[in-house]
Amino acid sequence: MTSASDVTPPEVLAQIADLELVARIVVEGLVSGLHRSPFHGYSAEFSQYRHYRPGDDLKYVDWKLVARTDRVYTKQFRETTNMASAIVLDTSGSMGFPVADRAPMTKYRYAAIAAAALAYLISGQGDAVGLLGGERYVAARAGRQHLRGLLAALSSLSAGGTWSVAENIRRASERLSRRGLLLVLSDFYDDEERTRAELKRAARRGHEIVLFQILSREEIELPYGRDLEFADLETGRALAINASLARRSYTDAMASFLERWHGRAGAEGFHYSLIVTDTPPARALRQFLLARVAR
Amino acid sequence: MFWVNPLALFAVAAAAAPVLIHILIQRRAERFPFPTLRFLQPTRLASIRRHVLEDAPLLVVRAAILSVAALALAGPLLLTASRREAWDRRLVRAIVVDGDSAAAVPDRDGEQRTVLMQRQFAGPSLADGIRRAVLWLETTPPARRAIVIVSPLPIGSITHSDVAAVPTGIGLRFQRIGTLPSARTAEGGRLLTSDRVRSREVTLTGERTSFRDTDADAVPVWPIDVVSADHDREVIDAAIAAVRSRDVWVAPPDRRARLVLVAPADRGDGAERKDSTADASPIQRPWIADAIARMTRDPDLRAVAIRFKAGLSDRRFAVSPWQALAIAADGRPLAAAAESADRLLVASAAGASSLATPVLLRSIANAIASPPDLRRAEVMPINDEVIRQWSRLPAPVGSPRIDTVEQDDRRWLWLAVLVLLALETWMRRAQPTAVERRAEEHARVA
Repeated sequence: MTSASDVTPPEVLAQIADLELVARIVVEGLVSGLHRSPFHGYSAEFSQYRHYRPGDDLKYVDWKLVARTDRVYTKQFRETTNMASAIVLDTSGSMGFPVADRAPMTKYRYAAIAAAALAYLISGQGDAVGLLGGERYVAARAGRQHLRGLLAALSSLSAGGTWSVAENIRRASERLSRRGLLLVLSDFYDDEERTRAELKRAARRGHEIVLFQILSREEIELPYGRDLEFADLETGRALAINASLARRSYTDAMASFLERWHGRAGAEGFHYSLIVTDTPPARALRQFLLARVAR
Repeated sequence: MFWVNPLALFAVAAAAAPVLIHILIQRRAERFPFPTLRFLQPTRLASIRRHVLEDAPLLVVRAAILSVAALALAGPLLLTASRREAWDRRLVRAIVVDGDSAAAVPDRDGEQRTVLMQRQFAGPSLADGIRRAVLWLETTPPARRAIVIVSPLPIGSITHSDVAAVPTGIGLRFQRIGTLPSARTAEGGRLLTSDRVRSREVTLTGERTSFRDTDADAVPVWPIDVVSADHDREVIDAAIAAVRSRDVWVAPPDRRARLVLVAPADRGDGAERKDSTADASPIQRPWIADAIARMTRDPDLRAVAIRFKAGLSDRRFAVSPWQALAIAADGRPLAAAAESADRLLVASAAGASSLATPVLLRSIANAIASPPDLRRAEVMPINDEVIRQWSRLPAPVGSPRIDTVEQDDRRWLWLAVLVLLALETWMRRAQPTAVERRAEEHARVA
């Protein structure tokens, strides 16, 4: 088991410009201890039975056949073309918090590192991975060369302005040609109802939905005690308030917002992870991956 | 309330400056980029008002320190009844003596007040001493003020004008000391007669005045040059002889005069006589100014001028540096005077044969001479009734001259400043406790 001191902290990762290197560091930190790929076998098709051999995964024993025949047979699957994944990365202005001079790592940088690590991991398993972020779309393909190109595209992106999460979920979902894995990294400040509608539509198309809600500790707790003129990073609208006086109502509203996403994601069968940017990316993704392995 | 240094009151306005700056400066909230405003509820900007409310008492105390210090610098003087009574109970006294009474000490004459200050003034005359005493009394601290004149008080030693020149708030008391001699003889000056110079000796015996003239060992010199037409020389000489026959005072040898008879131009030589007045200049020598003053007071000259039909027609004689001596019937000067090369210059519209000319000559001759001053020879005292009329009590202190007040009330204000400073120190030291409590509260919330 990897100890807490073995995972690279976010502020260190923030100093590394090479996204491929960062992704490798993160993946090495999270896959050690994982005995099986969390993505393996997902897209396999049944091909034939064979006699059970000791050590076979009991999950693949056809118990109905055992009841009928008194013989133990293990299902074998033909691996089809690898699983296709699409990473949807929110590049809206709100992901640029905290601004560069106030914190070592913005939410966007954290999400980009997590997206790179996921792409690295998926590609390393031989699966196809694509990317949709900003104005860039990289179709899902397998292979190391493709991964390099995807990471290069990822490095070219930045957070700023408005960017519709719902709209881009729809685009990514439509472009996944077969049932695949849709990984969305966002703060989900977009239109909640529309975003959920698009996620449900994507689920109806057969995609597995994985949501990573990425927030900073400051925007969850509002730990400021003075007059501040809060300026919206996407619209530029400003509101001058006293943070101490606004803290209680803010944290209540934020807690309700997070509870809505957590509850409805669970009700719809989406995997949901709330990631706070002061958590090392490897640790945050590990929890997600362990949950998948355990399924 | 009076102020010794009223300009310092402007410093009170300076105390308002930090208050105004403190209140008027709007502290802008720091701009803080944030992901979304959807969860933020509008609140009041508490820090500015809270800061003002928290600091207000301290600010008031600090402003009060500056204001009270400025008031103290301004030197307040509160004129209370007790202060006025204290001033009225004391006396500042000037003692004026003449040369004969230099060692005199005035008697109390029933004076009940405490003499705060006293100074003696002795001089060539009582009038001079009174004038200097008045100037000194104006610089003394607030108190009743009085002048005591100690002298035998002969006639002429003080006149009505000398008394009138003393401000009415200053008391006057006359103390007659010593006795005047029954008779006194004094030099009475020198006279220029028709053919010689005579010395006069004046004897004052009680109310009687007598004199004795003796020949003086001096060359008679007529001090006036007359500029007129050549054909008027005989008439002029006759006029001079007539004036000398009536005796005129002898002028000092360095005093000369020139009389120019400015006749009408139809005489043909008017231009030449006008040249004799061209060098007129403003009067600078005191004896010339004194001479002109005497001539303007000469009743004989005034009487003859008013009967003269036409004065000097040239407008030049009506303006500086010319001074009118006497006015003719037409309103223009019969004669005007100026200075010219250290002598008295007189221009006259009267002709050589006019009665005004010898009157003018006599007036000039007596004016430039130094008539004898027989006041010190006087043997008759000033009448007691006159002394009683002149005497008066010192008036109560009115509005004092601020610069003469020995002690104002600033010391109380400085004491208040010290108290306020102590209060400000205590308030300032008590403040961090509240700040620390707020810091702890912020830490718990975070």
